[in-house]
Order: sequence, then structure tokens, then C-alpha cells
Amino acid sequence: MKWLKQPHKMSQKYSLWVVYFCTGCGIIEIPPVITSRWDAERFGVIPVATPRQANLFLITGYVSVKTLGAIIRTYEQMSAPKYTVGFGSCPINGGMYWDSYNTIKHLDKYIPVDGWIAGCMPRPEAIFVAVTHLWTMIDKGMATGYIKYREKYKSYRRNQEKALGKLEWPPLYSMEGKDE
Amino acid sequence: MNKLLKGELESAFKDVLVNILEDTRLAAIAPKDAVLSILSFLKNKGYDHLALISCVDWIEEGELELVYVVSSYLQKNNECTGNEKLHIILKTRIPREKPESKTVISVFENAEPYERELHELFGINFEGNEKLTPLFLERDYKIPPFRKDFDTREYVKETFDKIPFVEEEKE
Amino acid sequence: MRELELYFGPQHMGMVGNMSITLKAEGDRILEAQTNPGWLHRGFEKLMEYRTWIQNFPMVCRINVIEPDSMEMVYAMGVEKLAEIEVPERANYIRTIVLELSRLSSHLFGCWAYANMLGFDTVAQWAMYHRDLVLDLLEELTGARVYHIYIWPGGVRRDLPKGFKNKVLETLHTIGSSVPDYDATFFNNRLFYERAKGIGKITREEAKELGATGQILRATGMKFDIRKVEPYAVYDKVDFEIPTRQDGDAYSRVWLIRDEMIQSVHIVMQCLEKMPQGEVYNRIPNPFKWKIAKGEAYVRVESSRGELGLYMVSNGEDKPYRVHFRTPSYPHGLIILEKLLENASIADVGNTMISLYVIAPEIDR
Repeated sequence: MKWLKQPHKMSQKYSLWVVYFCTGCGIIEIPPVITSRWDAERFGVIPVATPRQANLFLITGYVSVKTLGAIIRTYEQMSAPKYTVGFGSCPINGGMYWDSYNTIKHLDKYIPVDGWIAGCMPRPEAIFVAVTHLWTMIDKGMATGYIKYREKYKSYRRNQEKALGKLEWPPLYSMEGKDE
Repeated sequence: MNKLLKGELESAFKDVLVNILEDTRLAAIAPKDAVLSILSFLKNKGYDHLALISCVDWIEEGELELVYVVSSYLQKNNECTGNEKLHIILKTRIPREKPESKTVISVFENAEPYERELHELFGINFEGNEKLTPLFLERDYKIPPFRKDFDTREYVKETFDKIPFVEEEKE
Repeated sequence: MRELELYFGPQHMGMVGNMSITLKAEGDRILEAQTNPGWLHRGFEKLMEYRTWIQNFPMVCRINVIEPDSMEMVYAMGVEKLAEIEVPERANYIRTIVLELSRLSSHLFGCWAYANMLGFDTVAQWAMYHRDLVLDLLEELTGARVYHIYIWPGGVRRDLPKGFKNKVLETLHTIGSSVPDYDATFFNNRLFYERAKGIGKITREEAKELGATGQILRATGMKFDIRKVEPYAVYDKVDFEIPTRQDGDAYSRVWLIRDEMIQSVHIVMQCLEKMPQGEVYNRIPNPFKWKIAKGEAYVRVESSRGELGLYMVSNGEDKPYRVHFRTPSYPHGLIILEKLLENASIADVGNTMISLYVIAPEIDR
């Protein structure tokens, strides 16, 4: 049987615990997803209190400059393997607030994103479709955002400093290595 | 009722110009130094609800216009008398190069966050308000963001669009 | 004892949305609280100056994500006042029905948040389920669950679909007949009484000084509701009461949420009975070339949290010149919260914050 050969993939897929951080507009569609009508627990997704216990990060809605710092710190505290999904049109390219001076436009310049869900707000069923797509990606070994973050950490950190100024926390991985 | 208030305001203060916008809205235009005394006069008459302090940037005339919207809560015995519909929109102009005004916290205590926001977004200095610390914004902007000469689309092009995607790097 | 500085936020059970507080605590007692909004600031009012009058409608409903219909209503009222457009009678009834259903869903969301904060998970799940039934109705009427864009200047966008009235009555019957369950599990529960009585107490004079409206003011005994003070839509033609309480603490505020939900159900049923036939919108000029004459207006509605006002200035062009929303959570979340947290214990911070019924996106806009 397939899962006997790779039990680590099955145990990751069917218990994707999500960090309970509702940024932006997502405060309105995440509570229906985790309560009894659109029950997300049947997919193995439950919200947990701290990022140390989680391996899925749903960024729901637009990201302002203040929130970006919190998102980066949360992402760096999660333990590998970890997956990120951008929810809504705003993380993709700025969405409706493309000309605002306080929101960042493309989220994957700052942290690696494995998949996107389009919509403004997407329906709860869209989250479940995204979770099943993520299972397929984990099976095929395509959800490698966290590996890319480790390999290209210098570029990510440089982009983060351009957006936020001097960062108060030390770099997560070593900053030596190839120079441009 | 609003004609009565118009008469009282015009007789108590010399430099005030009062227009009746419609049945329940009065617009009063006053010089900067009379604002505090007009607001105390209105509060003593029973108009004790400061709904909003706002600001409009008239860039072509070189002035910023401060707007105070005042109305009243229910007065006695919890009944609606019809007087609660009346709003007084008090406006005053200050020059754009040197935007300063006095705080109205001594009359209306809830004016403090409105003045803090206007200080941050328009650059107006309110004397006497000790809490003019940043409220929403994290970075410094050369021009306060809500003024008309701050072009937000230019700012986005300069700051956010110039940051490269990570895949574009050549190894 | 030493002073400790604690950071509470931006994601915590006490607030709907992201807002953080810095607390200076000594042992278990809080000396000073300082709010730190701005996590959700998009600069709405500046963005609205770049878009035409009709392009602003999809923008406006995203300011208050929990109850978008009251934002659409206040913007439509402002535009109608500046442009002098009349609204037909049937459209006013439909607007009232949509506003009251939206108020019902917002109060059920508040029940979820408060029950979840205290630990009553069962009631939280029921409240979210009933809220989803109301959102199903709104989805059938307007096409979307959350952001409706249904109320616009001149009326509403389309008429009620066939069989809508029966579906509304069925949903309201389902919700209304489960009120005894809610009462037995949560509102009459001794644990809720012990945890919420006396917390976050505010007197009527203090509430008036600090600019409070909505449940905070009505829990101190003043019957201040914009639907009776300055009626709009058809609120002067339906019969409803304004519930008030005398104590001014968290217990009274949450009980008022329950009473207001029952009043909303009565209003919707009366509107469905009394609604006349007719048109649902008056034509507006070509929206691509619509210029509105110079002027200014201040309009207000009663949202589920208090007085929601809009100050709008037009300069004769096809875009608004200045738009400023007076949201009810602005004084509640910034000054009343800081005042009520002095001398509170740390365990009561979440309780106080969420009983003030603040939404963070409304503060930041």
C-alpha cells in the first residue's frame, strides 16, 4: 500500500494544524470554517494557539506593513515542514488596495507561498479544495516552500529589510554564502 | 428651532457666519480663535455629543479646514424631543504652511483620538494635547499621507514595486 | 512589587480583528493600558478620492467586515442627499429587511466571540450555525455571502426572488424557537453571571463624556438609538422597542445583545407584511459621467455597535473630495477601553474588551 512506503507524508497530510492568526478581512470567514457547519476538523485542520505547534499558515486577506513583521516572526517560529497558503486576492497582487500606501502587494516576495486561493472573500468550500490540492502537492513533493526559504534566505531577508527597514530580530539562517 | 439657534449664535459671537443647510443641519464658519468658546457655548446649551473632528484639504486655496460636528444626546426623561436631530457643523480655516490649532479636550474629553489622527495624517499640531503620538502609521512620510499633494500611486511605485521577486535572482 | 510590561495582541480572544494593547501590570493588577491600533490601516478615505462615486461602492462595504450593509447604507444615504435622489417606498422596506438581517448576523457573531472568550463552546457553535442560516438568505438575495453591494443610490439592485418571504419566515422561526436553549445554556447561566457581573462598569455621565453610543450607552439607561431619534428607511413605520438596562457593566451589555436580536426579528416580520408593490430603484444618471454638485452632508445610521456617521464633501467633480467615516468603535476602542482597564485584573482583560463590542477594522479604516 502506498502509505506504508511513506508514512511521514500521510501523517503530515492528514493533520495540518493551522495557526490561528486571522489577518485582515479573514476574521469573517475563518470562524465559520472551524465551527460545526463547515467543519474543518474532518480534513484534519484544527486551529492551534501557538505557531510552534502548527504546520500550516493561512494568510487571510490583505497584509499591512505592521502585520508583515508579525507574519514573518510567526512563520520563522513554525517548525519544518511547513506550508503557507494565501487566501483571498489581496496577497496575490494587492487586490482591491493596489494603490494603498500601507499594504504590501505581493506576499511571495517576503515569505514563500505554496498555493493561492482566489476570491474576495472565497467561500469556505474553497479552503477545503485548497487543502486537498495541498495533499496532492505533498504527495508529489511539490510543496517545498520551506526548503526554498532556507536556500534563498539572503534574498528574502533583503526584501524584508527593504519593506520594513531595519529588522529587530536576528537572521534565522546563516547569512554567509553566495554573494551577488 | 434651528433659526432660533442661528439667531443666538450670531448674537453671542460677532465673527460667526451661520448657514442653514437643511432642516436639521446648521453650518457655522468661525475664525480659529473663537472655536473653543463657541464649543463651550454649545455644550452649555445642551449639545453635548461631539461626533467627529475632521479636516478637508483645500489645496488650491492654500488652507486646511477643520470641521467639528456637534449634536446632542437625549436630555431629560429619556424622551425624544426632536431637538436631538439638530447638528451643528462648525468649520474653521488654518493656513497650510503653518497648521496649528488649540485642543478642545477641556470642553469635550473624547476629542483626543480625533486630534491624534489628524496630527498624524494631516500634520496639524494641536497645542495642549499631550498625546500626539503615532496612531496608525509606522514609517515616516515626507508629506503627511492624507494631504492632496501626496500621490499614493507614485509612492507605491517607488517603494513596493521596486522590490524584486525572489525567483528573478540568478544563482 | 515590580512593574511588568505585557504585550497583548494582535491576535487574541478579546478583539475581533487585529489590535494590540500594551499593559503595565504590577502583579495581577493593571496600572495603565495603551492601545496600539493600525494593523489594519489601508487609508480608505484617501483611496476613495481616486475612484468615482459608483466605483466606491465595492470599497465601502469592506471597512466594517462584520456588518457591511450598514456601511453601504450610510454611503448611499450620503450620495442621495448630495445628489438629491429619492428612493421608492418598496426599496425602503427591502433596505430595512437587509439591514435588520445584517444586524442579526452581526449580533450572532458577537455571541460567538463572547461565548468563545468565556469558554462556552457549545453556545458559540450554535451561534455560528444560526448566523450561517441568515447568511444563506442574504446569499440568495444578493449573490454573495459576505460583501453584498446591494444597497446603492436610488434604491436596491434587484427585487426579492420568488419564495423569499417564506424562506425568511422559516429561518426566523428556527432561530426564534432556539432562544430558550440559548437562555438556559448561556444567558441565565450562573457561571456567566459570576464572571460578567460588575466587570467593566461605566456610569452614564462617564459614557456621555467619552463619546459612547450604542450598547455601552443603552446599558446605562439612556434610550439613545438613531432609529428612533432620527429615523431613516421605514423605521418610523414599524413598531419596536429599545431595550435598556441600568447597571452599565458587561453583564448588561451582553443581555442587550440578546434583546436586540429579538427586536430585529419582530421588525423583519412586520416589514414582510407591510411591504407595498412597486419599483425598487430610481434611475441615476450615467454612472460613468456622473458629477454631483458642490456641497457637504453629514448622515448617520444605527449600526449594531452604535452611531455610524459619514461626513462627505463634494467639489462638483465625478469623485468625492473628502470622505470621513465616524465609526462607533473609534471612541469605544481607544479611550473607553483604556479607562476601563485601569485597576482591572489581567484575567478580566479579554472579558472587558469583548463586552465593549469593538471591531478593529472600524478603528483603523
